[in-house]
Amino acid sequence: MKNMEMSLRIRALRDKMLSEPRYASIEQARIITNTYKANEGKPRILQRALALKAALEQMEIRVEPGELIVGNRTAGVRAGVVFPESGSTWVDREFETLPTRAQDRFEVREEDIREFREEIKPYWAGKSLEDVLKARYGKEISEISKVAKINQTDHAQGHICPNCSLWLRLGPAKLRAQAEEKKESAKGAKKDFYEAVSIVMAGAQHFMQRYAELLAELADRESIETKKDELRQVSANCAAISGRPPETFHEAVQSLWFLFVILQMESNASSFSPGRLDEILIPFYRKDREMGHLTEEYALEIMECLWLKFNQIVYMRNANSAKFFAGFPIGFNIAVGGQDGDGKDYANEISFLCLKAQEHLGLPQPNLSVRLHEHTGDALLKEAVRVVAKGSGMPQFFNDKAIIPALAKLGIDERDARDYAIVGCVELTTQGNNLGWSDAAMFNLNKALELALNGGKCLLTGKRLAPDYGDLTTYETYEDLEEVLRRYIDEFMEKMIKACEQVERAHIDILPTPFLSAVIDDCMERGTDVTAGGARYNLSGIQMIQVANLADSLAAIKQLVYDEKMVSREELLDALRKDFEGHDILRARLLNKVPKYGNDVEWVDAIGVKWARYFRERIGTYRNYRGGKYHTGMYTVSAHVPMGENVGASPDGRMAGQPLADGGMSPVYGRDVTGPTAVLKSVSRLDKELTTNGGLLNMKFLPEFFRTETGIDKFAKFLRTFVDLEIPHIQFNVVRKEDLIAAKKHPEQYRSLTVRVAGYTAYFTELADELQDEIIARTSYADI
Amino acid sequence: MENLLHPDADSGTIFDVRRFSTHDGDGIRTTVFFKGCPLSCVWCHNPEGISGKRRPLYFEKKCIHCGSCIKVANHGGVGLGAQGEILLKTDRPEDWDRIMQICPTGAIAWDSREVHVMELFREVLKDEPFFHHGGGVTLSGGEPLIQPGFAANLLALLKEQGIHTAMETALLVPERSLAMVLPHLDLIFADCKLFDEEEHIRAAGVSNRRILENIHYLLTSESRDKVVIRTPMIPGYTATEKNIADISSFLSGIYPDVRYEFLNYNPLASAKYHLVGREYCFKENPDRFTKEEMQHFAEISCRKGIKNISIDE
Repeated sequence: MKNMEMSLRIRALRDKMLSEPRYASIEQARIITNTYKANEGKPRILQRALALKAALEQMEIRVEPGELIVGNRTAGVRAGVVFPESGSTWVDREFETLPTRAQDRFEVREEDIREFREEIKPYWAGKSLEDVLKARYGKEISEISKVAKINQTDHAQGHICPNCSLWLRLGPAKLRAQAEEKKESAKGAKKDFYEAVSIVMAGAQHFMQRYAELLAELADRESIETKKDELRQVSANCAAISGRPPETFHEAVQSLWFLFVILQMESNASSFSPGRLDEILIPFYRKDREMGHLTEEYALEIMECLWLKFNQIVYMRNANSAKFFAGFPIGFNIAVGGQDGDGKDYANEISFLCLKAQEHLGLPQPNLSVRLHEHTGDALLKEAVRVVAKGSGMPQFFNDKAIIPALAKLGIDERDARDYAIVGCVELTTQGNNLGWSDAAMFNLNKALELALNGGKCLLTGKRLAPDYGDLTTYETYEDLEEVLRRYIDEFMEKMIKACEQVERAHIDILPTPFLSAVIDDCMERGTDVTAGGARYNLSGIQMIQVANLADSLAAIKQLVYDEKMVSREELLDALRKDFEGHDILRARLLNKVPKYGNDVEWVDAIGVKWARYFRERIGTYRNYRGGKYHTGMYTVSAHVPMGENVGASPDGRMAGQPLADGGMSPVYGRDVTGPTAVLKSVSRLDKELTTNGGLLNMKFLPEFFRTETGIDKFAKFLRTFVDLEIPHIQFNVVRKEDLIAAKKHPEQYRSLTVRVAGYTAYFTELADELQDEIIARTSYADI
Repeated sequence: MENLLHPDADSGTIFDVRRFSTHDGDGIRTTVFFKGCPLSCVWCHNPEGISGKRRPLYFEKKCIHCGSCIKVANHGGVGLGAQGEILLKTDRPEDWDRIMQICPTGAIAWDSREVHVMELFREVLKDEPFFHHGGGVTLSGGEPLIQPGFAANLLALLKEQGIHTAMETALLVPERSLAMVLPHLDLIFADCKLFDEEEHIRAAGVSNRRILENIHYLLTSESRDKVVIRTPMIPGYTATEKNIADISSFLSGIYPDVRYEFLNYNPLASAKYHLVGREYCFKENPDRFTKEEMQHFAEISCRKGIKNISIDE
């Protein structure tokens, strides 16, 4: 590929976008509320469909001069959309604090707060997902929350990869026609489903038409001929794809973007992902190129316009959730490279265009993922490393050699497994046919250990959270301790599964999603909404939090207390209860004299593997409400900070309230002192089946490492070994400490500096102080 | 027990095994640092490797000043200095292993360890998956060739596994030591620091005659294309136009196709000096050479007939 520079157009659009303030928006909330009021008594799925259609017809729209790809769900960029159907209690509680809260701030308009309180909120009391779930099962969810944090309780389910190719093949017009046809012979709930699909597709067509008209008006008013032509072209694209499937590359990208805007307008959920963009777009690209209609440069500009669009939709979470998922990640995850259905290398021209767009823009979205396998070409691998070296933390790398067989073992069809993509941060999915429910819950294994050590009581509050089966002083052997840990895991798992079922049921009742269902395989055939199990695959993912700390803690107890007997059981428990006050020497010993996970020490790593495996096997025996399997992931996003706040002092030497290991498969930061190869070796001991829902390995390198072509080459070799070792995921931060310290002091000068927080990239200057400090403190490997 | 090449040298003394080395040969490597060196260059970047003796070291950064060590030191081997800092008297007959066990942070530790070659072999094999993509094992030091049998044992085991092997040596060793390892090496980095004998004695404490003879031996042997001659560019010592010109003439006189590499000055070398109680050659640490300065030295060398020059920044 040619070495192409970023165009002036893209630069101008980017700067304009970044300088625009973010507002909380109640515009759609108003439209939704009015639609529900006007359609009382109708089935929920029709209310939802009509509300989406109304939004598509009424929301204010805007285009930016120079945009080649248009469309957004609000007129302003990066707006925080209030979405009453899923939950507005927290909005009511926190509205005024949005501009000043620690994480993910939004400006608010006084009149919006008033209207929200007087017109919107009263209607939704007791009706939103949040309220309904709270009434049905709130107490039980809250009781287990210290160990098992249940997610998706106040927002719609995202983390889904729609069937983009199907959408590009049919478009809203044909999907509408299909729904109309199927409606004829359907009855009852199925008839309502098809009716709802037809309504939302009509809305989608209208939405595109509105953009076509707006652009045509702007074209009429434009005096410069080249700009006039461009506006007419973009207008024509919108008009065309409203009525027929896209034919050109430009139309296809526009159509794809409308798909994601509308998915977000329907659900306001975290993460709808395009998936394998190189597979999806290549037919359009090659056709236009062969016919001489498209230059490489223009194709790149179109892609970069799309890249900017991915940054214009953000997700507003409540303050607590924003701590867990800081930087309003919206999770437009794009996968490039990897194997095709026959196992051959897939990389094509679009893969390289995606890397180039990433290199040029380096913004938090999309979340760019490169799939690697044994036959990945050197060109793609080295290009990807060069982009990593730019410091945006992307692309991240996924390993076909680990993931494909693990998914197949989970029961995924071999071809679907080979075609896997990524949603959200690192969650694995098949494309276009899967409701993976990948963030069902996070299970804090370290809290379970705390309860086992402290007789079922919370070390922080002294409150009883579980039955008393003894404490550390009563366990004669290390195995006694493990047995109690196992009991707590079993008991909390059982309760967690029941809570997850309740959440799924509430989604079926409150938040059916006909537009999404139309682009997920099997829903249309079955006439069943995706929330109700219409998709071909119906999984639920539980995250194990954090195996690294658990391994370190158990290793310390095993070695110092039971094997060497250097520390008495009484002394250790006393130290934990006092958060190590007066026990500095003991704490130093725990930290320094026992090997830690991440240093290629087999027996320590094996403890982590043992418990992760136990959890995985046990959860595999449960089925979710849609009839699908539970499986596990090892990633936390930024949840290792709040999850750590919730755990008292631990035997690995961690003080009460301190963060747990970041990532999910990563060692506790600062404890991996044997270098990056040892980290890979340790991580490779975790079976690939443990992370079918997604695993996250975070590593940080100084930019010096990438300074020379030799450095790039060695890094590529490092990644080749990563593939051989069958580790599912790895991502790299390439930053200098000084940069981060300076950015903290002078945020205005570092507005576009991005860092990988965990499974995604955020603007560093927009992160809370404690997260900034934590990122600064993470281990770095100098170029030795 | 495995058949070792030199059964009498089944154990040796090393001071570090560093994984993910990226500057000591091709690919991702594991470097083993052998203890002891006949040279004592004033700029040595591994000063803890010069002495062949095993000694306890004190790492102040790791110390939490709990005093546990003082309580178990019965012969005055651990004491307090004027500012309350820990001072080790390593010649005292302490039970150092016990002191190190009691220390909760590892602030007192041996500067090196004696290891059996099989144990070391297993240790370096830990990164074997990385060696499949062009990496391997490098022996460094100290001077690996003052333990030639031990080095040869390890190298032979590695070659049996098909692992790429390299060695960094300063060559102040008998020719037969060199001959013992040559068949098992894929790459030899041999230092030629200073050409002038007097200056060499001043900077490294010993004559360089043996070194120059060994360079001659290497560059006329069958292994000569496995050899890379290296000069560390130490400001005011080795990095003079005359020294580079003299070395280059010497080398091109033997084998003009020899690979010759300039290593830029590494200011981090000074960091370890306080640990071992030695004086570093610079009070004010000089900067690294610029690209242009390095290029200038390379040109001098080129004018003296060297064809394959590389610069390691």
